Amino acid sequence: MTAPTHPILALQHVGRSLAGRTVVRELNLELGGGEVLGLLGVNGAGKTTSLRMIAGVLAPTSGTVRLGGEDLYEQPELARRRIGYLPETPPLHAELSAEEFLAFCARLRGVARGAVAAAVARALERCELGDVRRRPMAQLSKGFRQRVGLAQAILHEPELIVLDEPASGLDPVQALKLRELVRGLGEDHAVVLSTHVLSDVQACCDRVAILHRGELRHIGGLGPSSDQALRVGVSRRLHSVDWLSLPPVATAEAIDATHWRVRLKPEAAVDEFAAAVVERGFGLQELRADASSLEHTFLAIAAADAPAEAA
Amino acid sequence: MSVAGLIARHEGRRLVVQPFAWTLAAIVVALMAWQFLLSLQGFLQLAPKLGGIKDAPGVTDLVAIPLLRSFGNLLVLLVPLITMRTLAGERRAQTLPLLLASGVGNARIVLGKYLGAFGFALVLIVLVAAMPLALGFGAPLDLGRIAAALLGLALFAAALTAIGVLASAWAAQPALAAAAALAITSLLAVVDAGARLQGISNAGINYLALPSHLEPFFRGLVASVDIVYFVLIVVVALVLATRRLDTLRSRAD
Repeated sequence: MTAPTHPILALQHVGRSLAGRTVVRELNLELGGGEVLGLLGVNGAGKTTSLRMIAGVLAPTSGTVRLGGEDLYEQPELARRRIGYLPETPPLHAELSAEEFLAFCARLRGVARGAVAAAVARALERCELGDVRRRPMAQLSKGFRQRVGLAQAILHEPELIVLDEPASGLDPVQALKLRELVRGLGEDHAVVLSTHVLSDVQACCDRVAILHRGELRHIGGLGPSSDQALRVGVSRRLHSVDWLSLPPVATAEAIDATHWRVRLKPEAAVDEFAAAVVERGFGLQELRADASSLEHTFLAIAAADAPAEAA
Repeated sequence: MSVAGLIARHEGRRLVVQPFAWTLAAIVVALMAWQFLLSLQGFLQLAPKLGGIKDAPGVTDLVAIPLLRSFGNLLVLLVPLITMRTLAGERRAQTLPLLLASGVGNARIVLGKYLGAFGFALVLIVLVAAMPLALGFGAPLDLGRIAAALLGLALFAAALTAIGVLASAWAAQPALAAAAALAITSLLAVVDAGARLQGISNAGINYLALPSHLEPFFRGLVASVDIVYFVLIVVVALVLATRRLDTLRSRAD
């Protein structure tokens, strides 16, 4: 008989109250290895509280957080080797150099003495900190500090990496590199990251969970699927019926004169659709996943409670 | 190396790369050296008159012990400055999650912070102790009595450090932590003042007072009751500090 396999992270009915106010309620989530989950929500949605519970910093008032099937709050030492956590403000002892600080973090996380130098060197390289590794962190820019924070979260090669707003304060180039890094981390680790930037989620997550007022309102994949709405740019002026005449198309909605939001039938593939568009001579100029479908979902959830919020 | 040792060593490293610890050490050494030289000069002026007296007080009684006793008083002010940032500083700088998320356990975090701060207090004691011990090159010293006094100072500093770490765990601001530690220590220093005024010196209230347990060491008396008192303060304060971290973990901060 084989042992049951557990997801790396499982949240079951997790709730948290702070000062008598429910901040997170009935949160149920599962995350496996090689998966990046984006936690999306407006400010105050409960993202940071959820991540603190996942990272083992804050105990839930109800429910359980399980790491590989084991209760994190019954065995807090599980977090030591198996979780890496970057809080919203990178927790750096700024008077030290990045190299020295990371060596301490590695030992704190249980990396064997002989393996510390290699782990630090690898994290410095991954986060592109080689040039500044000996400078006191107090002298580093916010972007560099954020990268040191990220390096301390990954240097012990944890199974689960928890990142709270990792791109905050980064310039566009740094943010792009961070997305690539997170994407790379997602190949070997389970990653949960919170953000309120939709493009971050779209760029580096496999799944998105939308939190609103402490509740999980939506969870779904982001990868290419037949259900995915497509944004199509064409040179010809078309009508809905033209699109619907194509066999793979389920619905078509005009964005402007030359751009359409098209949904395919469940069994249809994107290449089949593209071939049909070309064959009909629609003048295909642009074809990509429609970013705004996630945006619509997000905004619809955020707007649903707007009158109550104002009250 | 244990995790507490690792955290302690890291604390020490953080102290030496900042000017704060060096400034504090410099002020302590300057103050104590000034006092040492004054009392030494006083002793040298008095020494010819003491020559003919049987069992006259020596350099240990007139220079070494008063200096160490005076340093004991200074420790009441110094230790809160050393400990104030141990946990409150982490909270203020929002770096506490680094330790809380590391899964090493709150007791080991508190113990590591405590050992780091206590290590620095011990360094100060060694620096000050070097002054009277240097007299050993030219004058006979009662080394047993000085050793007892140093043991007393170390235990006293251990208790003050534990109180300081406790205050630092409770307060969100280092300055508040220092003030709270000073208030608790001062209270423990004068708790039996009223009783003493009434001539009561052997009641339960006297047992609670810090000076009742430090003074015997300066007289060369090492009693287990005094050692137990300081150890008890350390244990109680560190347990309470650990409980405080447990509360922070369950409360979010």
